[in-house]
Amino acid sequence: MFSKVLIANRGEIAVRIIRACRELGIRTVAVFSQADADAMHVQLADESVCIGPPPPAQSYLQVPRIISAAEITGAEAIHPGYGFLAENPQFAEVCENCGIHFIGPPASSIQMMGDKAAARRLAARSGVPVLPGTEHPVRELEEARRAAREIGYPVIIKASAGGGGKGMRVVINPEGLESALATAAAEAAAAFGDAGVYLERFLSDPRHVEFQILIDAHGQGIHLGERDCSIQRRHQKLVEEAPSPALTDSLRRAMGEAALSVARAAGYRNAGTVEFLLDERGDFFFMEMNTRIQVEHPVTEMVTGLDLVKAQFRIAAGEPLPVTQEEVRLTGHSLECRINAEDPDRFLPSPGKVTNFRSPGGPGIRVDSHAYVGYIVPPYYDSLLAKLIVHGRDRDEAIARMQRALDEMVIQGVQTTIPFHQKVLRHPDFLAGKTSTRFLDRLTQEQ
Amino acid sequence: MDLKELKALLRLMEGNDVEELEVEEGGRRVRIRRRPVPGRVPPAAMNPAPPAATSVAATASPLSPMAAAAETAGLIPVESPMVGTFYRAPAPGAEPYVKEGDLIQKGTVVCIIEAMKLMNEIEAEVKGRIARILAENGQPVEFGQRLFLIEPA
Repeated sequence: MFSKVLIANRGEIAVRIIRACRELGIRTVAVFSQADADAMHVQLADESVCIGPPPPAQSYLQVPRIISAAEITGAEAIHPGYGFLAENPQFAEVCENCGIHFIGPPASSIQMMGDKAAARRLAARSGVPVLPGTEHPVRELEEARRAAREIGYPVIIKASAGGGGKGMRVVINPEGLESALATAAAEAAAAFGDAGVYLERFLSDPRHVEFQILIDAHGQGIHLGERDCSIQRRHQKLVEEAPSPALTDSLRRAMGEAALSVARAAGYRNAGTVEFLLDERGDFFFMEMNTRIQVEHPVTEMVTGLDLVKAQFRIAAGEPLPVTQEEVRLTGHSLECRINAEDPDRFLPSPGKVTNFRSPGGPGIRVDSHAYVGYIVPPYYDSLLAKLIVHGRDRDEAIARMQRALDEMVIQGVQTTIPFHQKVLRHPDFLAGKTSTRFLDRLTQEQ
Repeated sequence: MDLKELKALLRLMEGNDVEELEVEEGGRRVRIRRRPVPGRVPPAAMNPAPPAATSVAATASPLSPMAAAAETAGLIPVESPMVGTFYRAPAPGAEPYVKEGDLIQKGTVVCIIEAMKLMNEIEAEVKGRIARILAENGQPVEFGQRLFLIEPA
């Protein structure tokens, strides 16, 4: 096992990684920007190194400073968390070249899955269903028109080089194609430096169901079931749950195997997530693979009893998987609410000083957060303040627990999305398990 | 005595309005004064950690705002623009680039910071005299860490 690890991240995930390191006896090095000098991850780590001024481009994305910080502290490995450099294949490669273990997949897998159009082709070649779409990015209007006719309207235009909702446009009919292409390409170029876009069939009301996989260095791979992340706003997930109310055992088996096929075809190792869209008929389609630990990993941890971050370190250290596929048990039901420092109605960021922070407690409650009383939420980074996770013996108990926990939780000094989550957790469609990616649109329209 | 303990001492001093504190532990003595006596240069707040056994990298501003302001009144700091290892000379055994008291110009190389096997020459941004050298040869330094104080000319 590694004796010292540098965490190339901040906020709640840096705290999460430090906690896993503590339990494994690994010494920790935090890196921080000048805006994060008093951040919890800096306080908890054994050592810390300032790597720049507040803007991410000058700090958390500064590869040379992060590598240098690992060198001067003698860190043997770097855990990239999620976001920032976590899916940057060049960063993974620099680590490998400098003799630093990158806690994650090989750079080549990150590269392969980072090209969304190429990832689709790989999935199709592995026999995994993909949404009808273009095999290669389209660059000309005529090509796009032909492709869209074949795929069938409505189509969605997506950026090849990125995600997170940028460079995406839905086109209902042929008349809208030309201008949607132009704006999507411009957005993609601005966000990812690559104007390449591809076209895909657009499903009107699908669920977003993703599978957690683990593959060790000895070629053993398992899936740990799914997470239903259908409740999204502008492609940002807000509430996640495991298991999905829509899955049967046989569908879970089929999708789990499909997820592993894709991961293996990419030469994957360590923890990863394969995302699918599931339509009302129970047909599933590969969307993309995320080659990192994800924000919502705790819901899988709650239903499987496994510590995924510790598993990442163990796999990176060459240990075999903790369980076989047959030993994986999904028990009970888990929900997660992402509590953001945002206006709960308009979702605008609300930086400022946290003047009161009372975490809920009691049975089946888990809070992953870097916030504390006196913490100043900086304006430079994402607004995730806390993840509120519950577990119950079934979905009803998990819902009751989440409702209770949201009511108990107090955060003052900044606005938070707690009131929004309270609304979701009381909505009849949510209670009935009738969630899809259009759930939030409907909720907003009702108000 | 490490940086976390020092910061705790400083908070204690501020919280209790203590002006001066001296602590001795294991052969190391630290004296912290919050307000300077006019005419005297305030003492350093800490001894730098020995390079071989750095357990905590120094943070950018270890002093409380008042002590920092007093210490550097009129002096311009040279802050590290990168993360790496600070060296005073171009090579082991060579003469240091600068010593305390030396006159320097804008653009004079004052030290090297080694990062990822590359030696980066760090230049002064102002003309003046080296008033204090705040980092030790071979010490790991972080972004923003103060390396020199320059009395501008």
